[in-house]
Amino acid sequence: MDFALSDEQKQVRDEVRHFANEEIVPVATEYDTEEKFPHDLVEQAAELGIVGANVPLEYGGVGYDYLTNILIVEELFAADPGIGLSISSAAFGADALVAFGTEEQKEKFLRPVAEGDAIMGSAISEPDVGSDVSSVATSAEKDGDEWVIDGNKMWITNGSVGDYFVVVCETDPDAEGRYNGFSQIIVESDRDGFSAEKITGKLGIRASDTAELLFDGVRVPEENLVGTRGAGFLQLMQFFDETRTAVAAQGVGIARGAAERALDYAQEREQFGQPISEFQAIQHKLADMHTQTEAARQLTYKSAWSVDHADDDLTQLASMAKEYASRVAVDVADEAVQIHGGAGYVNDFDVERFYRDAKITQIYEGTTEIQKNIIARELLGKGMV
Amino acid sequence: MKVLVTVTDVAVVDDEFEIDGLDVDERYLTYELNEWDDYAVEEAVQIAEDVTDVEVVTVTVGPERSEEVIRKALAKGADRAVRVWDDAIAERDLLDAETKAELLAAVAREEEPDLILSGVQSGDDSFAATGVTLAEKLGDEWAAVVNQLDLDQDEGLASVHRELEGGVDELTDVELPAVLTIQTGINEPRYASLRGIRQAQNKPLDVKSLEELGLDGSALESPLRWTATYEPESEGEATVFEGAPDETAGELAGVLRDEGVGQ
Repeated sequence: MDFALSDEQKQVRDEVRHFANEEIVPVATEYDTEEKFPHDLVEQAAELGIVGANVPLEYGGVGYDYLTNILIVEELFAADPGIGLSISSAAFGADALVAFGTEEQKEKFLRPVAEGDAIMGSAISEPDVGSDVSSVATSAEKDGDEWVIDGNKMWITNGSVGDYFVVVCETDPDAEGRYNGFSQIIVESDRDGFSAEKITGKLGIRASDTAELLFDGVRVPEENLVGTRGAGFLQLMQFFDETRTAVAAQGVGIARGAAERALDYAQEREQFGQPISEFQAIQHKLADMHTQTEAARQLTYKSAWSVDHADDDLTQLASMAKEYASRVAVDVADEAVQIHGGAGYVNDFDVERFYRDAKITQIYEGTTEIQKNIIARELLGKGMV
Repeated sequence: MKVLVTVTDVAVVDDEFEIDGLDVDERYLTYELNEWDDYAVEEAVQIAEDVTDVEVVTVTVGPERSEEVIRKALAKGADRAVRVWDDAIAERDLLDAETKAELLAAVAREEEPDLILSGVQSGDDSFAATGVTLAEKLGDEWAAVVNQLDLDQDEGLASVHRELEGGVDELTDVELPAVLTIQTGINEPRYASLRGIRQAQNKPLDVKSLEELGLDGSALESPLRWTATYEPESEGEATVFEGAPDETAGELAGVLRDEGVGQ
């Protein structure tokens, strides 16, 4: 057993931290307040290989393993979750292309994302489809050598800024079994009949773009089908363990960002003639926050390590990591605001933003309740329900 | 064309620290790439990007720990690295500019670079003399505190701006081979890309002992002795005015008037 990161992993972590502190932290409040997508930062990050870190080398990425990818996510989110998500989500859906895409699809769609020339997204949720992914109603019908797509997608990250999306559609409504009959199809945002409406007024991660996608008879060529027709749901599920591990890393990053800021503030802020960090009540808070963050990190690392090396317990670990780290993010951000007192209630300090940003990690990529269902299901040895 | 860049890691001391013997206790030190060297590496890499067939080699005098900053320079675009170290060097309390230049000169005689870039100074020891001493030992031309560099490879000429006191720039042409000490602000050092970090793991990093450089213990002899390190007593005092700006501004004006600063 080896708990140490390699020298190379440390170097990646330190350089991403350096980038995040220099480029992201100073502008985070501005992007949050204005709900503005950080195009320049996403492009700069892509040039540094941060966006396509786990895209294979031959398609313009860096080909790093999943654990290294997780280190990057933590660093970005510790700086700012909104901009961090904008950067790490620019390759959402890329995993499906790496695993199931054709050579042509990889060259055409992966390389521009890894090189910062395009932003992609993954479109699964619908107005009536959240946790129950198998009830997707967006349809794709074959017409000659084209797919014709109709329907709505909801809460789509990068929806109004993305160049193309991997869209989960129902292609074979008569297929037997509730998980059959769905396919993943690439839809470019410049196709006729495609439109996106940006969703504003989000509680947190406000720099990140979220939109509703409308497909009104959108036609794409048949070669935009990713993988096997009818196997879309099974293809999608293969990456739930990875995406949940990534959200766990987001939670770890948010918790660390909040805990570090609270530690700094507690040593600066003086009350009753001494820094508040001299009071045991504050010391215990800081001890708990940092302990919980480290525990969440180790669970997340183990889940990421399992993605790379051993998938025996991966599904359970990924859900445990996601559920725990997101809870720690919310709790630690809460305590960070408490330590800041009144100052933490306004956006002069970052913890106000972290407090709002943390909540989403308990909701997206499977809610806390769904994660607990999965953990229990794995414990009790039940099949997919 | 070959560009040799001298790089070093420097110790950064925590806000709170203790002195142990001659030096700050190791527990309070972290190490990073010397700021001036970061600019020197960037300048060399930019030359390599502008001119075809340029090899950028870094040279460091330092223990294994310093490989972290060497890898950083390699990740930013240097082609290979040489690190000078052995037990005899490790035993020295102090490596002064003369000694460092002696070791670096031995590497330079092997490498025969057209241009050597060195940081103006290191952020911890601050001798600010290693680069120029190196030039003297090699018999090369040199220019110190360079904040702009235009290289004419065909003419074998480096046209440089040197930053002098009082905002004055001196423009000088230096014949190659030459040693230039690079000032911060000459360029904007890049971040190491992840691709660069990945490639750097496979770039050559040779470790050389005194003997391998054709030197013996006499190269380490120095007239300088490190005798003590202490934390000076703080003599200044600060007054903090608390309250609304209109009140505190008045109090500050009063102090300035009393001290004879304001009229």
